[in-house]
Amino acid sequence: MTDSTFPVGTFSFSNGLETAAQIHLVKDADTLEQYTRSVARQAAYSDGVAALIAYRATKSGDYDAIIEIDRGIMLFKMNDEARLMLHRMGKKLAELGVRLFADTNGKDNFFNRWLKAINAGISPGSYPVAQGIAFAMAGISEENLFASHQYGVINMVLSAALRCVRVSHYDTQEILYRISEDVPKMYEQARVMTFRDMNSFVPEMDILASMHEKGNMRMFMN
Amino acid sequence: MRHYSDAPDVNFDDAPEMQPYLAQPDAMYVGCPGKRGYLNLGFEVKNGKSIMRELDRRAPLIVQQELYFDEEMPDMPCVYILSSGGPNVDGDRFRQNIYLKEGSQAFVSTGAATKLAQMARNYSGMMQEIKLEKDAYLEYLPEPIIPCRDTRFISDTRMVVDPTATVFYSEIYMAGRKYHNNELYVYDILSVCTHGERPDGQQLFREKFVIDPNQVNVRQIGIMHSYDVFANVLVLTPEDKAEVIYKDTEAYIDEKNHIAAGITHLPNKAGLLYKVLGVEPGPVKKVVREFCSRVRQAIKGKPLPPEFPWR
Repeated sequence: MTDSTFPVGTFSFSNGLETAAQIHLVKDADTLEQYTRSVARQAAYSDGVAALIAYRATKSGDYDAIIEIDRGIMLFKMNDEARLMLHRMGKKLAELGVRLFADTNGKDNFFNRWLKAINAGISPGSYPVAQGIAFAMAGISEENLFASHQYGVINMVLSAALRCVRVSHYDTQEILYRISEDVPKMYEQARVMTFRDMNSFVPEMDILASMHEKGNMRMFMN
Repeated sequence: MRHYSDAPDVNFDDAPEMQPYLAQPDAMYVGCPGKRGYLNLGFEVKNGKSIMRELDRRAPLIVQQELYFDEEMPDMPCVYILSSGGPNVDGDRFRQNIYLKEGSQAFVSTGAATKLAQMARNYSGMMQEIKLEKDAYLEYLPEPIIPCRDTRFISDTRMVVDPTATVFYSEIYMAGRKYHNNELYVYDILSVCTHGERPDGQQLFREKFVIDPNQVNVRQIGIMHSYDVFANVLVLTPEDKAEVIYKDTEAYIDEKNHIAAGITHLPNKAGLLYKVLGVEPGPVKKVVREFCSRVRQAIKGKPLPPEFPWR
């Protein structure tokens, strides 16, 4: 569900890699691994936490908590392109969710209510929240949600790298394998975090994102 | 029986990142008089001129009377926050309030860099509240923060800002005491949270960063990479002003001079976020001041005067 071929448009985003590659900050497997690690860490303690909160809210039937964390994660996104990415993919997954889980809880399933709230502008419709709802409705475990979320983030960068950095499929798979080893440790920290604890520190990536937003390079949308 | 200061309580003991650092210091206990600083600054307009109407303080924080030393804005009260204790130490707690009433303006800075001393048991924490009423204007441009070896610092800054008001809020973080045994990124933790809202309670943005060099390689590409100084600047301002400033501000990585900067829009059309990375504080301060000058130009039609030669 979090793979870049899942039809929510993940393939059109690079998480700042396009700019990093253009200025040769990321130019080979080693620099790509460093960059991807930074992206993965940043995602774990922000979007990853939001996905877990949405997952638990769905499990306990707390619809208001879904709206709250959806608004919360958007307060945290300091970049127009990042907000756009989260909203586009979130809304797409909600639209898919309405169809995929049509029989799960009849017409009252959370995706139906939430998609209406997104279309009415009440809830921003973020991707991590959509993932949390989808995994809860599919009966998949919380650990698997987090692992899958991290895989999605890492894979997004590595798939983009195959198109804009001089690396091979062997390189990207090795990087994916090595970075994935950190995921259980990150889950242990992320699982006890609340909205208040969510954090992110990637200033160089933030500057790259700003350069992308101000520039006119457009293979990827961020 | 321990004697506590009458300054407000400041407590971050439930933050997950502070859990390893909750023991009582071997020296003076947490929150004892002298370790619980308090500052309440209130600005308002009187006879067409902004004045500092409120000043309440507890040691070690000191603010003396406001001065009017800004040559471009001679009507703007300027205030330096000083700490009589020197650096922030183990178990310090600070509370700072800066309130600006309708139409008032103020410049707030610190007298020197804020040093975060080596800590052994506990942490140093600071809570701030910055409130601006209609058409108020605040420039908060302190000297850098220098975290020494094993230091732990946590802050929470709440901004309540009217849609017509403007806050320029900057923080500059050094990697450490660079020229003292090459002390770079050997602190334990820096946890900084800044969040904004409208007077009616509408939430605008929330930024929190936790830098934990023991757990993450901050030298990684995407984080601090080869840089030693990080400036974070929030500008809450009306949307039309933000657009002018955004258009006038470049995003760049200047490899030759080893300095980089980026600008972006805060959520909910609240204003702008500007980040600067560099290797020495001087050039980073200069870029931040130039940015502040653009903000002042857009809001007040005046530039920032040149920095004092001794700063």
